Amino acid sequence: MKPIALLLAVLFFIAGLLYGLGTINFFTKSGTEHAHHVSHLVICWVLSLLCLVWYRFQGSPSR
Amino acid sequence: MTDVQAIVLALLQGVSELFPISSLGHTILLPAILHWNNINRADPTFLAFIVVLHLGTALALIVFYYRQWVRIVRAMVASLIRGKLSNDRDERVGWLLVVGTIPVGILGVVFQDPVRALFSSPGPVALFLAANGLVMFAGEALRRRQLASPQRADRPIEDLSFVQSVWVGIAQSLALLPGISRSGASMVAGLLCDLDHEDAAHYSFLLATPVILAASLLEIPKLAAPGAHVVLAQALAGGVVAAIAAYASVAFLTRYFKSNDLRPFGWYCLLAGIACFILTRMGVLT
Repeated sequence: MKPIALLLAVLFFIAGLLYGLGTINFFTKSGTEHAHHVSHLVICWVLSLLCLVWYRFQGSPSR
Repeated sequence: MTDVQAIVLALLQGVSELFPISSLGHTILLPAILHWNNINRADPTFLAFIVVLHLGTALALIVFYYRQWVRIVRAMVASLIRGKLSNDRDERVGWLLVVGTIPVGILGVVFQDPVRALFSSPGPVALFLAANGLVMFAGEALRRRQLASPQRADRPIEDLSFVQSVWVGIAQSLALLPGISRSGASMVAGLLCDLDHEDAAHYSFLLATPVILAASLLEIPKLAAPGAHVVLAQALAGGVVAAIAAYASVAFLTRYFKSNDLRPFGWYCLLAGIACFILTRMGVLT
């Protein structure tokens, strides 16, 4: 599962970046509204971060 | 918007955000009932005002559960450093909250605008409010059936599974529909996951905190909208009123649910929803 977690983290990060740059408009209200793209960017990066957390919990041995 | 309208809306927001009666539904229905036609929900200044009310509500929740949030964050950071989940109660609750927040985060960003564009007039809101009442009755009936089962016992929040937390989060997402209550839907889901009323309410309030806070933080740019400074004083006063009302509400509800259930709120939503729908059909609410 570790590679999947890492792959998803990268994909969500890139998706967030593309929303931020306005390159992709999936699931946005108008496709042009700035604030809406920011919310998509934020949710993508939060999901990316959570995938890294998932990766982390599969990584190290316990204390 | 007059000062009186601002204070009434702030009070309504602070109370109805945490009571299982739908804040969004009430902030649509009450201005319609009172014929406050000067309030335009799409106006950037009104949106800025609403952002501050939500911030006030979120801050009240954080202050009320401050000690628990500190413990939760500490425990989560410790588990991240360790790279392993432990049996610590606060750590478990923290990760359950994270997992439970994911559905509403995704569904909110994707569906909030189209759903609200479709259903933000008083007629559909009244119907959803009545449906909210029925959901609470159904939840209570299912819980009574569960209680009758000899194998079943109430469990603490930390004994929820991550899958159950996702279901509670999905239930919370129903609040995207104006008239469906966030806390009502998540409490019913919590009850069906074998939490008692007190824990279901507690978990619902904890789960609502990051959502309300994140939603209002994402909308902060609206405070810089042209003309938003005109309502700044009203917004700040409203934010304080909403925070006080929300704090008092959560203090009341945590006591209330120690020994009471959702049915009184179910009756209120059902009757208010039906009454508002009839008024809408009669042309009184527009």
